[in-house]
Amino acid sequence: MLTFVIRRVFQSALVLLIVGLVAFSMFRFVGDPIDNMLGQERTDADIARLRTELGLDQPFPVQYMKFLSGAAEGNFGVSYRQGRPVGDILLERAPATLELAAVSGFLAISIGIGLGVFTAIRKDGFLANFIMSASLIGVSLPTFLIGILLIYLFAVVLGWLPSFGRGDVVHFGWWSTGLLTSSGLKALILPSITLGLYQMTLIMRLVRSEMLEVLRQDYIRFARARGLKEKSVNFHHALKNTLVPVITVTGLQLGSIIAFAIITETVFQWPGVGLLFINAIQFVDIPVMAAYLMLISVMFVGINLIVDLLYFAIDPRLRTEQKGAK
Amino acid sequence: MKRAIGIVAVGLSLAGPAFANEFKWAGTTDPQTLDPHAVNTASVLGFLNNVYEGLVRRGKDMSIEPALATRWEPIGNGEGWRFHLREGVTFQDGSTFDAEDVLFSYQRASDEVSDTRSWFAPVSDVKVVDAYTVDILTNAPNPIFPDSIANWMIMDKGWAETNNAALPDKENGNYATLNANGTGAFKVTEREPGLRTELMPNDGWWGEVEHNITRAEFTPVQNPATAVAALLSGNVNMINPVPIQDAERLADSGDVKVIRGIEARVIMLGMAQEADVLKYGDDAGKPNPFLDARVRAAVAHAVNVPAILKVTMRGNAEPASQLVSPAMRGYSDANSARPEFDPEKAKALLAEAGYPDGFSFGLKCPNNRYLNDEAVCQAVTSMLSQVGMNAQLEAMPVQNYWPELREDNYDMYLLGWSPGTFDAEHPIRFLASTPNKEKKLGSWNFAGYSNARIDELLPMIQSEIDPAKRQAMLDEAAKIMQDETAYVPMYVQPLVWGTGKNIELTQRPDNFFILRWVTVQ
Repeated sequence: MLTFVIRRVFQSALVLLIVGLVAFSMFRFVGDPIDNMLGQERTDADIARLRTELGLDQPFPVQYMKFLSGAAEGNFGVSYRQGRPVGDILLERAPATLELAAVSGFLAISIGIGLGVFTAIRKDGFLANFIMSASLIGVSLPTFLIGILLIYLFAVVLGWLPSFGRGDVVHFGWWSTGLLTSSGLKALILPSITLGLYQMTLIMRLVRSEMLEVLRQDYIRFARARGLKEKSVNFHHALKNTLVPVITVTGLQLGSIIAFAIITETVFQWPGVGLLFINAIQFVDIPVMAAYLMLISVMFVGINLIVDLLYFAIDPRLRTEQKGAK
Repeated sequence: MKRAIGIVAVGLSLAGPAFANEFKWAGTTDPQTLDPHAVNTASVLGFLNNVYEGLVRRGKDMSIEPALATRWEPIGNGEGWRFHLREGVTFQDGSTFDAEDVLFSYQRASDEVSDTRSWFAPVSDVKVVDAYTVDILTNAPNPIFPDSIANWMIMDKGWAETNNAALPDKENGNYATLNANGTGAFKVTEREPGLRTELMPNDGWWGEVEHNITRAEFTPVQNPATAVAALLSGNVNMINPVPIQDAERLADSGDVKVIRGIEARVIMLGMAQEADVLKYGDDAGKPNPFLDARVRAAVAHAVNVPAILKVTMRGNAEPASQLVSPAMRGYSDANSARPEFDPEKAKALLAEAGYPDGFSFGLKCPNNRYLNDEAVCQAVTSMLSQVGMNAQLEAMPVQNYWPELREDNYDMYLLGWSPGTFDAEHPIRFLASTPNKEKKLGSWNFAGYSNARIDELLPMIQSEIDPAKRQAMLDEAAKIMQDETAYVPMYVQPLVWGTGKNIELTQRPDNFFILRWVTVQ
């Protein structure tokens, strides 16, 4: 067990280092930050001075090493655009993204499972078929289009919900939350639907097919034959056994909800890390881009590591193979 | 940093009667700093014009008017300028404004680390005569000096020194990056970089209040569709810019107002005039045809500017004949005619220059810098191909574009220029002078255009006191550049703003948004 964990942790660290190296080798293609930082009346001497000061005149492996040694001490550098430590900026922006991701994840799971069960039980019902067809929209329409459509309908035409932003927030130390004000809650509705729609339809279709599979099993027939209530059979016996693959997929989707928040955040001008990243690309704000990419890869690698460890804990076969190898 | 605990007063949808005159606006770029000397860009200076003030300022028609100086006059025979300062002005933190602050702001703004340093290149010394009189001495007579410092904003010496912000720090930021203390009509009450900035009227302002705003909030919104939706739904009262393709539809919808004008920015084509050979296209490596003025003239005649304005810019822009727009000081009325669209003449010129069958070359173009820049380049490409000049178009984001131009990786390129001083001398200095690093001339003259007479005229223009003589020299320079087709000026870029129906404001050609001219009904 211990050797397995150590090996996986070591592999994860290697993946992180490679991601960072690839990121840094790509930054030169994103453009040159100098022109954004200096005004129209800059001279060649100004350009050279700033380049040296930022260390951009050095080859990218050197820049990468500098970034790594800083990051090891928890220092991600200073944003070119804002002139503030990147760590502070990320901390400021993270609550918005995490809250949005949590709410959309919650919506996706609760509505997805509910509708999945419903469409499985009423397999041939009109409403179930309608939901199944409608769910194709969620799978096939790109996020930004859904976002724009929702904005147009609920903000421009009906005027019920704000078209952008996060509304009012309440601060608790470094954390800020929009869940405690009415404008904050209103502002959450459209972006969380936009962000969660794909995952919701995915979970729904997954639950439905698993559920249909399970409902055909003998033990369900026996349960019915014993005269158990339909509700108890569906939710207690059937649903429980469909959840194992659903949990696996949901766990992996959690990472992509946060990573794909970029598009939703851009459409809704949602003040999270995704929007920060997009703005950083436009400005060639290398410290912010580097820190964001590292953060996202740490998250993905971390989730995968946990999933692997869970498998190890759950699946006895992995353990016996290890023993067999010895 | 944000406040530790505190609920922001008003929500997006909850504007109550107490905030009846709340004004919210959205623009694409957040000012990257609140330090008026750190970064010399329109987004920073435009925003800070609401908070800080200079000795002079620009009025609604761009003319120079008194601000922190009540009057000014040249010293002796052009040794400099004497500014008489306004008395009784206080900064937003309550401290008094006087000559020491002017001297301090000069030292701060002209320091090596300040982006605004170039404004003070002609200045030899600044002397405090008394508490409300300052002499600014120049190396040579400088008739347009007051015009050139309209964006030089005065900072309080005590405030800056107390907060360890005696010099701007662009790379690491300091107190002045996030906080502001000007003398202007509005003060910054909350600042979340990249997210929102809240402004409140400065009750102690010395000027006559024209606006009726009780609170203002700026939010950067990068996605154009989001900005338009925010305006239509009333979540913001003004957006800048309105995407050109949406302007007509929005104006017709009747829910909002679309305010159009022309900006100070002239969009032009530049052609390599230093390179010996072409670098792109099928003829790469062959002698560079653009060295021949007839070929450059052929380009000018081959590009159908009226068609570009009608189709690509949807009637929102105006043709340009020279490097500045007619709204700028020193515009040459004598040279206001631009080359006719005449493909036959273009072909004849090409044949005369020895290219009867045309040639192939590379055109570089940004795709996110100017309005519809890539579409304009596509139009130019197809128009040039009509006369046999086959451009191989490569469009890229501006952050990749400038390095390409600096490394001379182009045969032809697109450039927009907005003169910071609103004077015709500015583009001559940056675009037409022979590049000279020591004298800091021609720093944007990528093409390497060079004319001895222009180089000779520039210092004379800079120091000529007599307006008629100065104009004559500017006319001469404009004529030389037209005759040699130094550049092909195409059009003046439009300004398209959108506001709610209840908003009155003034649009200035420098694209600065001035809050104190806004009224909410």
